[in-house]
Order: sequence, then structure tokens, then C-alpha cells
Amino acid sequence: MTDFHSMAKVSVGQILGLVEAVDEVGGVADAATISREVEMDVDRLGPILVAAEFLGLVTVEDGDIRITELSRKLLTAGVRERKRIVREIIDDLPAFRLVMEMARSSSTPLGRQEVVQALSDRVGSHQAEDVFNALVYWGRYAELVRYDSESEQLTVRVAQT
Amino acid sequence: MGDAQPLLQVKDVSKSYFDQGKEFKILDLIRFELAERDFVCLVGPSGCGKSTLLRIIVGLDTPTSGQVLFEGHPIRADNPQVAMVFQSFALFPWLTVAQNVELGLEALHEDPAKRRTVAKKFIDAVGLTGFENAYPRELSGGMKQRVGIARALTIEPLLLCMDEPFSSLDALTAQNLRDEILQLWSNPDLPPEAVLMVTHSIEEAVYLADRVIVLSSRPGRMVAELEIDLPRPRNRKDPEFYGWVDEIYSLIV
Amino acid sequence: MRGLRGRLRIVAVVLILLGIGAAVLFPDAARTVATLPLLAFFSVLRMVAAYVLSLLFAISYGHTAATNRRAATVMLPVMDILQSIPILGFFPFVLLFFVNGPLGDPFGIEVAAVFLIFTSMAWNMAFGVYESITTLPQDLDQAARSFGLHGWLRFRLLAFPAMVPKLIYNSILSWTNGWFFLVASEIITSPGTSYVRPGLGSFIYLAGQRGDIGGIAIGIAALATVVLLLDVFLWRPMSVWSERFRMETTATGERASLHVPSPYERLRWLPRFPRLRREVARRTQPLVDRYARSSAKLDRVYSSHQRVIRAVRRADIGLFLIIFVIVVATGLIGLVGFFQRPLPSEARGLPIAAAFSFLRLLLAYLSALAWTIPVAAWLGRSKWAARFVTPVFEISASIPATALQPLIIGFAVAVTMGGYFAGEIGAYLVSLFAMQWYLLFNLIAGVRSIPGDLDEAARAFGLRGRTYWRRLLLPALVPSLATGSITAWGAGWNALIVAEYLQFGRSVYSVTGLGASLFQATVVTGNYVMGYLTVLAMTVVVLTLNKLLWRPIYKRAAVKYRMDV
Repeated sequence: MTDFHSMAKVSVGQILGLVEAVDEVGGVADAATISREVEMDVDRLGPILVAAEFLGLVTVEDGDIRITELSRKLLTAGVRERKRIVREIIDDLPAFRLVMEMARSSSTPLGRQEVVQALSDRVGSHQAEDVFNALVYWGRYAELVRYDSESEQLTVRVAQT
Repeated sequence: MGDAQPLLQVKDVSKSYFDQGKEFKILDLIRFELAERDFVCLVGPSGCGKSTLLRIIVGLDTPTSGQVLFEGHPIRADNPQVAMVFQSFALFPWLTVAQNVELGLEALHEDPAKRRTVAKKFIDAVGLTGFENAYPRELSGGMKQRVGIARALTIEPLLLCMDEPFSSLDALTAQNLRDEILQLWSNPDLPPEAVLMVTHSIEEAVYLADRVIVLSSRPGRMVAELEIDLPRPRNRKDPEFYGWVDEIYSLIV
Repeated sequence: MRGLRGRLRIVAVVLILLGIGAAVLFPDAARTVATLPLLAFFSVLRMVAAYVLSLLFAISYGHTAATNRRAATVMLPVMDILQSIPILGFFPFVLLFFVNGPLGDPFGIEVAAVFLIFTSMAWNMAFGVYESITTLPQDLDQAARSFGLHGWLRFRLLAFPAMVPKLIYNSILSWTNGWFFLVASEIITSPGTSYVRPGLGSFIYLAGQRGDIGGIAIGIAALATVVLLLDVFLWRPMSVWSERFRMETTATGERASLHVPSPYERLRWLPRFPRLRREVARRTQPLVDRYARSSAKLDRVYSSHQRVIRAVRRADIGLFLIIFVIVVATGLIGLVGFFQRPLPSEARGLPIAAAFSFLRLLLAYLSALAWTIPVAAWLGRSKWAARFVTPVFEISASIPATALQPLIIGFAVAVTMGGYFAGEIGAYLVSLFAMQWYLLFNLIAGVRSIPGDLDEAARAFGLRGRTYWRRLLLPALVPSLATGSITAWGAGWNALIVAEYLQFGRSVYSVTGLGASLFQATVVTGNYVMGYLTVLAMTVVVLTLNKLLWRPIYKRAAVKYRMDV
């Protein structure tokens, strides 16, 4: 679950962009080439690489980045299909399973404080906030959760497709 | 359509600023037309007045001389047939994604139920479903610009004008969003009928456009108008692609 | 969580029992205290009335000044002048107008009081509105235009939300100003008569006249309680809410955290009662929904009657301009009248009075500086001090100097045993209390804004003691010192009007100064020509100081000593 916090600062667009960039140079490239290609230094590219690897979209070996079978599916997919693929990857992550579990056993919507508290028991308080932000962002994208930043309440969405 | 009236006519548009009696010419006799199913990029170095030109075309600014006609009539800023996407996104920070997207429909006094259905359709088309009740500050740059695009498409415009829509984004996000724009463009069920986009990136122009209009700098003059006849999807590593990029470079420098 | 509510209930029961016990033991005091909630209610009612008027006025004035270039050429200087002159000086004339008008004794006086508070609240809010509209990002404006937002829709979706942060921020300042004037406006003396309107301010004043120190203390405590309660239940939630209307985070590609921390520093140690507030929010939700529904209706009405509404707005601005021209013209005619007649003989004393007033304020200002700079340096950097000492200062600052006035003069009389210097010390202390808090809180913010690495660099190079102060701390404080000084002097001039003529028990302590001669002219002798001249003199002095001293200093400070370069 600690790996998940690497996704707090990374966006869907960046990961898809990375996959596209690697695909464009033939599906495999070393990190330095990609870094030059997309005009991003290692500091900024690093978290995106980690997140993409974490999601199983690229493999990193000896500095070589290689896109996976899953990535190829993602590249040819439309907007809705992409969301479905990402949903299938992330709804199995421990952080999501924890929240789904909490939501199922609670009759009312989950409060932000409540979830952050539960997360800090697993990942420590200094990362809990990051994990929560990642959870909401990716959960919203994959249409797994609904979050209202005004009431700070999180609910689980009923899957549509 | 054949020889029917073009969607947009830019007729000898010039723009000058006057400072202490001295005239500073920004744009000089710009002239081109846009037909349906045209994807046109205006490219030029900074200071060529391309953003000013776009604002004149959508009616936010007035030319010193010349005329812009939309479907044969002088353009007005609030024309619902023309929508605009901004470099800085120009989202209202106090409105949620859904409220931002509904903005144009609200101005057209559509009833709330209709607004919601139409907004939902375009929010879904740009992949923002799930973020309806998020505020702009909770979104990444790419998501923010998706809101800007959905907001523009919601009024179902004939012409979509985009002012450097990807230049506030990092390279990865920008490339991803370019591809999604092309996906939307290739769907004939969705608006718009034509796109006019301003960019300073030659590569971006060649990647996206059917036609590239090249402007020179100070004052902005039309240097060339090129048909990019590469099939889509285009590969930026393709030598033919690079041929186009090099040609435009040589025109500007 | 039930435990908390249970404990609160126990505390409440204990307090009630204690109260009953105290009431049985001290029946007189109990009767006095029992009236306080009602008096507080009256005072707050006056404030709310003035505030609602100010809000409406500020929005229409600021919005018009920002969007109508022709009107702005008149409206901006008017706003600028009325914001900086000591409004309290005009009160006798306002009163004359309202009391002698058709409204008469109780009602006319209430209107006069509300009007006075209104004038102290409205201008800085109007300025906030003006600033928000003129600094509206161009892209947002263009987006609104290209999507066809006009009229009411544009106001509701763009202009109004954009003004919310500054409007709320300035509202908090306005309420502080308002309390100061409220206390002064509940007691009204004119030659021969004095009118007392029920409220906390008059309660304190009357206790002062009786020389009843206990009564003064109870009144001040009640006033402070009201100010603090309003802060907890109104201003802090409002200012947290106003954060979402800020522009900064929307134009960047970065994603902000979901949880926006509140920058509201003031009174952060007070309990917040989140449960109670959430309950209130839940109960008022239907109202909010109804507003949303009716505003959609309003949109339609507006768009179908655009021409009528435009005409009404033009008439509104026209009316304001006509009134303004009449006021200026009467003033000028009056002025000409003065110079045709021989000036009253007291007028020769005005320059000396002005000099004395200025010196008095200067002394108060310098002594405020002497204690606030070191204290701010300490509070700004010590976490412990900020936690335990700041509350004391914040409570003290929540009490307007006008309310402290009877206490201060009592103290001055006790120290000097009723000699001439009682008046001098009293006037000095009232001005000091009016000025010092603006300096202190601005300076604390200034110390906090010194970047940590700059402080570390200074220490790493061994800057210590006097060199540290001279090379880092003092230069870094210049901008906040400039801001604080301008507000402090503005408050100081207003304070002088009530500070130079003090009453305690039966005795009157008057000193040489503009405030005293205003009081003398309008209340004691009823020589309104002289009163008019005094206010004129004061306005000239204040505007001259602003133009020649504060503006240049502020400009220099803003350029040279900024931290974010």
C-alpha cells in the first residue's frame, strides 16, 4: 500500500502520455532517451515511471523501459474503455480494498478524517494524506468512488459497465 | 458543400496599437477561409499576434481594419456557434466541473434538466465522468483542460477555437490530450464542424492539422498556407512528418 | 462524542447554579447583568443594519467604479478621500441633520448611529470590491464574454464570486471599525441635551459617568464576548468558505491537495464548535436551495427586462452623482460663506490645536512602536509565546478603544489625582490603544513572513544581536510596518476626536487639540461654524500627511523591501 502513495502526484494523462511516448520510439527505450524526448528531468519523470510500473503498464529493467501487453490494449482503447482497464487494475489494490470494505460495513458515507485515520494505521500518518489524495483522484477517474470536497465525504459508486 | 458559403471568412484583417501617436502594427492583412471539416492551425513565433488574431476571429477584440464573417455575418463574441478554449483553462474556481461545463448552456437559458443531460454527455466524452462534483483546483492540468474542452463542446458549436490549449501542460499530458482531441475530432457525431487552433509548436501543428497557416513576426503576416496530407495517426518519428516540420521552420526563421 | 455533550451540559448546569447563587447574593449586580444580553442584542442589531447597508453600497459602488470608466473618474477620488479622513468628526453634523429632520428623537438618532457605523464600514469594502473586479483575470472575463454571460448571470457567476475573498476580509476589518464607532454613537450629546440609546456602548459610558469601575468592567467583558462569539460563528467560517473563491490554484497544471487548510490566523485558539455549525448548515440548506432556484428565475427576469434594468442602474448611478454634486456644492458655498464673514476668534487657535493633536498622536505612535516591534519579533518566532500570549493580545484587541475610554480616564485620574495631566494621559492612552494593535498584528505577520532560509543564512553568517536586527529583522519588517502605520494613524485620528475631551464622574478633562475644539464647538458652545472649520482643518492635516508622508513611504517599502523577489 505504501507504493500507492507514489500515485498521489501523478495524473492519468501523464501515465498515458508516457506509454504513448515509449510506444512511439518502438515500445522500448532507456530512461534517458524518454527523459530527453518528453523534456522532463528525472525528478519529474521518476514518479510517473514508478506509478506506471506499479500499475503494470511498463516494466523497468536495467534502465530500459518496456511497455506491456496491457499498455497496448490501453493505447488502442477509447476514452471509456481506458477507464474500464484502469478500473480493473486499481480496484484490486489494497488501499481500495480497504476503503471498499469500510464503505460496505458503514451505513453512512465515509468522512475524510475517518479514512485518513484508517490509512495512517497502515502506511503511517505522514503518507496517509497522500494515499488519500491518490485514492480520490484515481478512484474518481476509474468511477469507483464519489467524493464531495465540501462535506469531505466519500461514497462508493455502483459500477456502471 | 461544393462552392457554398465557407464557415468562416477572415478578410484582410489588420490590427494596430497606438501609443503616443505612434502606430504599432500587430497584424497585417490576414486573409483566409475555413470550411466544414477543416482542422487548421495558426503557427508563428511569439510576438506574431496569433493570439490577438484568434480573439479578433471570435469577436473578443476588434480589428483596426478588415472584417471577420461567420456564415456570412459579422462575428459577435457571444455567438453560440463559436466556442473558445483558453491556454490558462479559464475555469471558474468556485464552480464544480459540472457547473463549469454547464456555463454556456446556462447563458442560453436552457432548463436545468436539459443542461444536466447535455453536460453529462460531453463530460463523459472527454473522460471526466467521476469528477463532476470536483472543483478545478482538485484536478490535474490535463483534467482542467478537459473541462475547458467539454465546456466549449457543450454549446455544440460549429467552430471550435483553441488558444495554445496544451502549452500550460507538461509534455506527457499534452501529448495524451492531443491524441484525445483527435479521437473526439474523428467522431462525426460530436461537434464541432471545424477547428481553428493557435500554437507556437510547429510539431504540434503538423501532428494535428489538415492545414497550417504560418505567420511571420512583427507585424504578423501570412507567410504560407500548407495542406498537411499525412494520414492519421501520424508518427512524429516519420521522415515525411519531419519534412513538414523542417519546411515550416525554414519559412519562419 | 456523547461524552462531550454530556460534559457541556454539566458545565452549563454548574454555570446556571452559580449564576443563581450570585444573583441571590448580589441582587443589584444581577439585575444589571440580566439586561446585558438585551443591550448586546440592540448593539449587534445596529451593527448588522449598518453592515447590510454597507454591503449593498460597497458592491454597487465598487462594481460601478470598476466597470464604468467615466463614473470612476469621480468615484475613485471620493472613495480615496472618504476612506482616509476621520469620519467621526462629521458625526455632529450628521446628527444635526437626522435629529432635526422629520424623524425626530429616538428614530432619527438610531438612523444617525447606523449611518455613522455605515460610513466607517462601507469604504474599505467598496475598495475591496473595486480591487477584485479590476484584478479579475482577463481570460476569465473573456471566457464569460465568449460564452455569453451577461447581466445578472455574469454578476452571479463571475463578478460576485470573484469579490468574495476581499469582501469577507474587508468585512472583518469593517466590523472592527464598526465597534469603535458603535460605542461612540450610542451616546449623543449636543448643546443642552444628551441622548442615550440602549446598548453596550452606552452601558459602559454611563458606568463611566457614575465612576463605577465594576460596571465598566462588566460592560467591556460583555462587549468582548460578543466580538469573540461573532468571530467563532460568523467570521471564521465565512473566511474559510471564502478561500474557495481564490484564483491562484486554477491556472496551473498542478493538482492541489483536496483539503485546503485555512489561512485564517486570527483567534485560532478559540473552540470552533464544528458539530453545532454543521447542524446550522444543515438546517439552512433549504434556504440555500431556494436561493439557487429563485436565482434561476431571476436570470430569466433579468434577461427579459434587460433594458429596464439598465435604465434603473443608470438612474442609480445618476442619483448618486447628483447627490454628490449637491453635497460638494453646498460644502463649497458654505466655505465661501465662511470666508466672507469674519472668522470666529477661536479659529486662530486651530493651527496650534492641530500641532498639539499631531504631537500627541506621534507620541502614542512612537511608544506603540517601542513595545510592538520587540514583542512582535518574539511572538513571531516563538511557538510557545504565540500559543499562550497571542490570545491575551487578541482579546485585548477585540475591545474597541472607545469602550476602554472610561476605564482609561479613571486610571489617569487616579494616577494624577485629578490634575491637568489626567486629560493629557487619558488622551494619550486612548490614542495608544487605538493605534497599537494594528501595528502589533501587522508586525507579527511581517516576522512570520521572513523566509526560513534567510533567517538561517543570517544565523549561519553569525549575525547576532544588533547586527541581526539592523541587517535582517528591521528591513524585513518595513512593508508590514508601513501597512500597519497607515491603518494605525487612521484609527488614531478618529480616536483623538473622542480622546481629547474626557469625562469621569462629574469632572471634565479637556486638553488642547482638534478633537477637543470640535467637542467644544459642537457640544458645549454650539458654534457650528467653528466645528465645521475644525473638521476641515483635521481633514486637511490627514490628507496632507497621507499624500506627503504615507503614500511615498508605502510605495518605497513595497518595492525595496519585498520578500518575494
